[in-house]
Amino acid sequence: MAAMANKKREPISVFPRALVSISPFILLISAWELTAVVITSWRSVPFPTPWTTASRLLSALGGETLVDQTLYRHILDSLVRWIAAFLAASASGVAFGLAAGWFRMLEKIAMPIVHILQLVPGLAWIPVAILLFGVGEKATFFMIAVTAFAPVVINVVSGVKRVDVIYVRAARMLGAGRKTLFLRVLLPGSLPQILSGLRIGLGNGWRVLVAAEMIVGTGTGLGYAIIQARWTLDYASAFVCIIVICLVGLATERLIFSPLEKKTVERWGLSRGDL
Amino acid sequence: MLDILEVSKNFYHRESGQEFQVLCDLNFRINEGEFVCLLGPSGCGKSTLLNLAAGFIKPSAGRLIFQGREINAPGPDRAVIFQDPTLFPWLTAIQNVEFGLQNAGVSKNERHLKALQSLQRVGLENCADVRPHALSGGMRQRVSLARVLVLEPALLLMDEPFSALDENTRERLQDELLRIWLADRKTILFVTHNVDEAAYLADRVLVMGPAPMSLVTEVRVPLQRPRRRSAFEIQNITDRLRMELGRQPCCIPVQKRSHGNENNQT
Repeated sequence: MAAMANKKREPISVFPRALVSISPFILLISAWELTAVVITSWRSVPFPTPWTTASRLLSALGGETLVDQTLYRHILDSLVRWIAAFLAASASGVAFGLAAGWFRMLEKIAMPIVHILQLVPGLAWIPVAILLFGVGEKATFFMIAVTAFAPVVINVVSGVKRVDVIYVRAARMLGAGRKTLFLRVLLPGSLPQILSGLRIGLGNGWRVLVAAEMIVGTGTGLGYAIIQARWTLDYASAFVCIIVICLVGLATERLIFSPLEKKTVERWGLSRGDL
Repeated sequence: MLDILEVSKNFYHRESGQEFQVLCDLNFRINEGEFVCLLGPSGCGKSTLLNLAAGFIKPSAGRLIFQGREINAPGPDRAVIFQDPTLFPWLTAIQNVEFGLQNAGVSKNERHLKALQSLQRVGLENCADVRPHALSGGMRQRVSLARVLVLEPALLLMDEPFSALDENTRERLQDELLRIWLADRKTILFVTHNVDEAAYLADRVLVMGPAPMSLVTEVRVPLQRPRRRSAFEIQNITDRLRMELGRQPCCIPVQKRSHGNENNQT
């Protein structure tokens, strides 16, 4: 029975693999096309079709400006904000999570606060951010960092607590001091959970970044471009930005997290939940 | 070398809210170079005693004196071989062996050389760059032996190290352990519940029972090495141990079984 269950199912021969893997995109695009056609004739508003969006994307990639800036400038500015704030949130989140996972007292005092932070919807930080930093870069930085921080901490803490006490004992028996214990035992031991925390944090940050740019008035960036394009009825440009946002999100998973997981957790023979 | 002086250990059982005694007023001494086995039914506190000697937990009463000083924390002078090899999965075999050396501040080149020699000693120099998950159970336990031997500990504390291995591997590892022990005469405190293993390995077997009769008796094994497993004298010892063990309950109730994981973390 077990052998049967482990055996991979035969590929369905009618659909070649390549076709299966592109079919979600085909479905999505068809639904989009259909929506565009129906909405355009029904409400007589220019809902951009996949085709008009694609040609707008090409022209933007060719260097044509989109809401006063090139598409590249928007992407770059959004990425810089996102990465800077995410790095700050993840570095402090991992460090704090390791400490809170180890020191009971810190956990008891600090973790309820982190859990409350996590309950605040990303966009609800907008008034707080504006009050604290005024309109501008600092406010977006704050919003990304604050929404990415909580999931990172929560996952790291649960990761540290799941590291078997026997590894800690082994390390101490081998003469490990506190620094070694944290960096060479607790950190790698909780890496599966750390990675999932970073994943969630990065996703949260990205979503809130786009929303924050719409409101906090940064002057550039993909979110800013979407909202500005709407005022000028340049909906195709807004759609281009949405597509780029999705592609960036996909790329981080494919180019950062999957390889990182392959290089560490999988190579160590750990799956999530081991240890 | 290691003195156990009037040691008692109580654990707090969270569900029932009661304290119960695992070790009661235990007294014995282990001499330099001796191979001592602790034999007893599961739950009698053998592992607890080992954890006390390692410094992972503290006694509720009494003292443990190692080389003239009271034990209060774990350290590389008292190496532990756990039942699970507990190699760090994120480090290769040789990095695992180097871990302790690095903590001791040994330079990179020397560390590598020593670690390689230690792996050689357990016959695994070819697996230096392999990660633990790709090694068999027996090989992992060999690496964990190499990992502590490289630190030249004064005392080896072994907690049923071979009990998770198959018969053949277990006997091979017992022989390797004896070969290493004969070469540099480390002091070994070896926990087991297997009478054959105790009779084959030990100079002296301490038979333990449930508290308050923690130390039941002591059986000396005055036999030359190398020993033959099937030798008549070994069989005699085995029979004697089996008889002593037979007088004890076959296992101590579940609520009494604890290895001190919940509290007393140090």
